[in-house]
Amino acid sequence: MLSYALKRGVVALLTILLVATITFFLMNAVPGSPFLTEKSTPDQIAKAEARYGLDKPLIVQFKNYLLNFMKGDLGVSLKMQQDTPVKIIIFEQGKFKLSMRIGFVALVVAVITGIALGSLAAYYRGRWLDNLLRVFTTFGVAVPAFVVSSMLLIFFGVKLGWLPVVSGSLDSATSYIMPVMALSLYPTCYIAKLTRTSMLDVINQDYIRTARAKGLGTVKIIFKHALRNSLIPVVTYLGPLTAGIITGSFVVETTFGIPGLGKYFINSITNRDYPIIMATTIVLAALVILMNFAVDILYKAVDPRIKLVKGES
Amino acid sequence: MADKNKAKFMPSFFHVGPEQIEAAKKLTEADFQLADEEEKESVIQRRKSVSYWRDAFRRFRENTVSMVALFVFFIIVLFTFVGPMLIPYDYSSQYRTSAKLSPMDNSEDEKAVDGLLKSGVDAVYATLLQPGSLTALRAGDYYFNFKGETYSFSLDKNLAKASIVVDLDQPEVLSILTDKNLKAGTYTKTKPLAYTTGAPSDTANEIKVVKKIFPHVFGTDTAGRDIMARTMYGGRVSLTVGITAALIVLVIGATYGSISGLAGGKVDFVMMRVVDVIYSVPDVLIVLLLQVVLKNPLQAWFDSSTSPFVQRLGDLGGGIISIFITFALLYWVGMARIVRGQVLQLKEQEFITAATAIGVSNARIIKRHLLPNSIGQIVVATALQIPSAIFLESFLSFLGLGVSAPMASLGSMCSDGLDTITIYPYRLMAPAIILTVLVLSLNLVGDGLRDALDPRLKQ
Repeated sequence: MLSYALKRGVVALLTILLVATITFFLMNAVPGSPFLTEKSTPDQIAKAEARYGLDKPLIVQFKNYLLNFMKGDLGVSLKMQQDTPVKIIIFEQGKFKLSMRIGFVALVVAVITGIALGSLAAYYRGRWLDNLLRVFTTFGVAVPAFVVSSMLLIFFGVKLGWLPVVSGSLDSATSYIMPVMALSLYPTCYIAKLTRTSMLDVINQDYIRTARAKGLGTVKIIFKHALRNSLIPVVTYLGPLTAGIITGSFVVETTFGIPGLGKYFINSITNRDYPIIMATTIVLAALVILMNFAVDILYKAVDPRIKLVKGES
Repeated sequence: MADKNKAKFMPSFFHVGPEQIEAAKKLTEADFQLADEEEKESVIQRRKSVSYWRDAFRRFRENTVSMVALFVFFIIVLFTFVGPMLIPYDYSSQYRTSAKLSPMDNSEDEKAVDGLLKSGVDAVYATLLQPGSLTALRAGDYYFNFKGETYSFSLDKNLAKASIVVDLDQPEVLSILTDKNLKAGTYTKTKPLAYTTGAPSDTANEIKVVKKIFPHVFGTDTAGRDIMARTMYGGRVSLTVGITAALIVLVIGATYGSISGLAGGKVDFVMMRVVDVIYSVPDVLIVLLLQVVLKNPLQAWFDSSTSPFVQRLGDLGGGIISIFITFALLYWVGMARIVRGQVLQLKEQEFITAATAIGVSNARIIKRHLLPNSIGQIVVATALQIPSAIFLESFLSFLGLGVSAPMASLGSMCSDGLDTITIYPYRLMAPAIILTVLVLSLNLVGDGLRDALDPRLKQ
């Protein structure tokens, strides 16, 4: 188990390094300089580049970046908040916290409602509730997040005026509702579909019949025997789900005016603020990769039969 | 179903019960005669062998939901690919006098011309002064083609609030109608316009023939572009992106997966670790970066190249090309895993051993034996890749990173619609609904294909 975790840890670190390398060389592949504006003279550009060490060969720059990164130094912003350390911009100005909060709430909502709806659908298989849920989930996975956010915005924000149109920095509980709904609709429906399928699979197993035969109540059968065994596909989906929520946050943060990391990331790309692009990519990538790693470990907790290492008994 | 068939094909005398035994005891020699042709026919079981595809097609046809989804998908394909040929508007023309119209509406000058056309004239001509305006024309030389004849005329003054009308029944075939107020079909002044027929002079500009006024079914946007035309072109972009991306994934993923699976051992291990690493790279971050990185070099390539194919790519813009590149770099891993799994199962079977024994090369084993036998899963995975690519494209265009203006995409139109959502909600509705229905129908067709091609996976 430990050696497996170590192995996976190494792969995770390698992946993060790969992402960092791709990002670094991609963003530097754009011709021209980040300091190039209509007014700037070649002399000014050269000075500014020398100041931030951008005049050195790429490979040296990359080596320096990695060395500084190991020491916990993420560099300073080149343009957007000039000379402010990137660490402060991302972690101490509340951007990361905002995105994490909204993403985490959406993830929890998606997992809980998804599993609940899926179990309900499986339990009432073929009845009207199952059919209703099937229509709902089929639509739910076909509507893009930006359409959902726009529709919510028109309906609850503009027409009814119940919820704030701009969520801002999420100071009130009501400002969470629309972003979380927009962010969690797709994963909720997807998880509900997964749960229904695997639940139906499990319900037909012999041990469920045995449990019923020995007189256990329906609730106990579902929670103690069926649900736990039908959760494996849902656990597998947690990795892609995290990636999906990060992707969705770009849209949702734009639509609801939340000054989070997703919105900032897109701005940093268009502004070519290299250290911010690097740091944000690495942070977001690490989040997804860690989640994939956690999922593999979770597998074992949910289903002890799964062998992580060849030859393990 | 199966029982019914059996009953039909098995004549009753095959069934041996007490009654039959009793009957057999009473048999006389006269009962033993050669069967005539008709009796022979009734015993022969005629059942055509059913091919894999025919069987799958039958299963797909029985699936009502998927058939409806397929029908809806065809409607959308017709709408996006045939639609632009049927309506007189396109995605980039700005009909300035027709800006900000509601659905099914026409602008004042379009209504005026419509009234004229309904009053029995043959055709009305327009318009270069204001793009899209039907009632204004700058001074100059013009020509147009009508019923196989080329008519040329010249204007010495700018025309405004006026229409040039052709009526072959009138003695003066060409005339200028003017009116200060411009109400539908009523003009106060009529003046004949001198014209010549035959080849036009070199300096003359061609003008558009208007034979019918078409309503702006979904309205127009702030720049006076027809929203239905833009939705059609946008849907076309989405479909093209989806299908191309799915094909890219298919080719790379199937090749990689089958090589990895067939090779086995260390090669397989290394290839699959590469897949693992790529699988956990957050794709959207890479697409966003690629968008920005490739924008300028691609634009330079589009501008310098003369090949028509590259020009078409240029219309789509660098954003779309980087989506293709991202799919080629990152998205094939899912397909590679599926194909590898299939190959691992198949390669242990006897027919592969037999093929190896008679010296068939590995490339041929993959092409001739492995891929055709996993075709079901491959088709399903490809079909389900299309909606996910459409999702990604619309997402990027929504963020302003996909298609470049003036080309429309369903995502970029949603983003435009969102800006004016409180005043003109229908500008968001049209593209959003088409996008949702498109993805929905493709998902359902994909599910139906999975059930039909691979019944073991049926949910």
